Amino acid sequence: MDTKQTVIRIMADLFGVPEDEITLESSIGDFPKWDSLGHISLLQEIQDELDIEFEPEEIIELENVEDIVSLASRKENQA
Amino acid sequence: MIILQEIRKHAAGQPDKVALIEKNTEVTYSQMWQRILSASAYFRARVPRGSRVILAANKSVNFVYAYFGAQLAGLITVTVDSAVNPLRLKRIYDSARPYAIYGNLDNRQDEYTCMPFSEIDISSEVDEAGMAFPGEDDMADILFTTGTTGFPKGVVLSHRNEYSAAVMINTFVGNTSGDVELLALPISHSFGLGRLRCTLVKGGTIDILGSFANVKSFFREMETRKVTGFGMVPASWNFLKRTSGEKIREYSGQLRYIEIGSAPMKHEDKELLIKLLPQTRICMHYGLTEASRSLFICFNEEQDFLDSIGHPSPGVSAKILDETGEELPVDEPGELCVKGTHVCCAYWGTDQDRYSDSFFGDYFRTGDWGYKDGNGYYYLISRKKELINVGGKKVSPIEVEEVIGRVAGVVDCACIGVPDDVLGETVKVFVVRGEEGPDGKDIIDYAGKYLEGYKVPASVEFIDEIPKTSSGKVQRLLLK
Repeated sequence: MDTKQTVIRIMADLFGVPEDEITLESSIGDFPKWDSLGHISLLQEIQDELDIEFEPEEIIELENVEDIVSLASRKENQA
Repeated sequence: MIILQEIRKHAAGQPDKVALIEKNTEVTYSQMWQRILSASAYFRARVPRGSRVILAANKSVNFVYAYFGAQLAGLITVTVDSAVNPLRLKRIYDSARPYAIYGNLDNRQDEYTCMPFSEIDISSEVDEAGMAFPGEDDMADILFTTGTTGFPKGVVLSHRNEYSAAVMINTFVGNTSGDVELLALPISHSFGLGRLRCTLVKGGTIDILGSFANVKSFFREMETRKVTGFGMVPASWNFLKRTSGEKIREYSGQLRYIEIGSAPMKHEDKELLIKLLPQTRICMHYGLTEASRSLFICFNEEQDFLDSIGHPSPGVSAKILDETGEELPVDEPGELCVKGTHVCCAYWGTDQDRYSDSFFGDYFRTGDWGYKDGNGYYYLISRKKELINVGGKKVSPIEVEEVIGRVAGVVDCACIGVPDDVLGETVKVFVVRGEEGPDGKDIIDYAGKYLEGYKVPASVEFIDEIPKTSSGKVQRLLLK
């Protein structure tokens, strides 16, 4: 499973929305459960599942799914 | 004087001043007032005066027009979160018996018709001649509290209540017409709505932001709009800290104030905020929907009292009273009671007796248990109805939770009293544990080292999540 699919699957589980409703353009706040607590949980689950670690200065730049997927992919390649 | 009259005053005195910002949209005071007038005319033509309208509040400029327009038309507004769950909406609907619902319901049910805010005409030219403002004692809002039991209670606020609260908050926080406030709080709750009213009463600017979750846009707005203040709850600060480290320090020169909502906040977090923002008035309030912002503390100026909830707000009187309503001496715990024109004027849908039962004379009983020290600062021990009575000894769940929260592997916890044949009640703790978390015996052993015997939990239950209100208050009674 590629990084994008993994991120979307985690989001679907966490936010209770169908995977096909999540696009690369989906942004924080687009789903009721994607609030600040949901965002923290999402980032934690992605880091745990992909065995990567985000830095605060990277997290601050994340606004939508595309940002998250591209950061996660970059981190995976560095690992 | 009521808030609507202040807004009209600003529309006349500073018509071109920006009142509202939403993304790239700017609305001046003059434009905002015209749209409020137009919305008011829309409601007057359709909804009988004194009716309730539910506003399902997704934060937007259109909500602001609908909210004040409905009130100007003599309606009573009932704001609910767009994401309100169907059961809560049903209970609110059945209680408020609204004439209509406007806004956006994420969990819309077929039985309710919800009209979008765009249905409300905000473009008609309205003549103000002969227009009457609502009276000071007319009902303005019914706010349904989440409540620690989860059953919503309708708190009625009059125009006088809301104007009084706005004036006293602005007096303490120090708001001016030059302020630009970033509104990232939910607008369906007392705190967020209160911040909106406070800023508009002063003639300042409100910059509407979805939530704190999008940290990048939070800081982008700070930068581009030269934000001078915002409101947050302790959970928002935890989030900002985790996602942006100490970046907020970069704005210490421009941030004049932060108002923090009443929920437990770690001492070290208060000190960190003082360190990062030494010139900012960091004000934490204590209050409840019925008596918004009754007490205040400014962290920077009152650093010796950071563990207190502060002192009465300007124009508010507070006392610690016993079970019979007699005032207790300094340092002796009792029920915190407050008096002021900000205190709600009724509970919706109940008789006057039930409302009167919430008072000792003129003093509203907050249901919080605490004491006053010799310096006039107030300290909270617990919610009165959440105190655990172990063989006649009162146990604050917060005290036990603080100790158990230190056990390695405990993510979160909450304590309640459970019936006991001998002691009346004993302490039971619900624990959310992380990976490789402790077992029940580890927790009880640890508590035994730091707490008196009667405070040590007699039982431990592991659960996935501690129930909390949207502002982060633990709903202990839901664990019963």
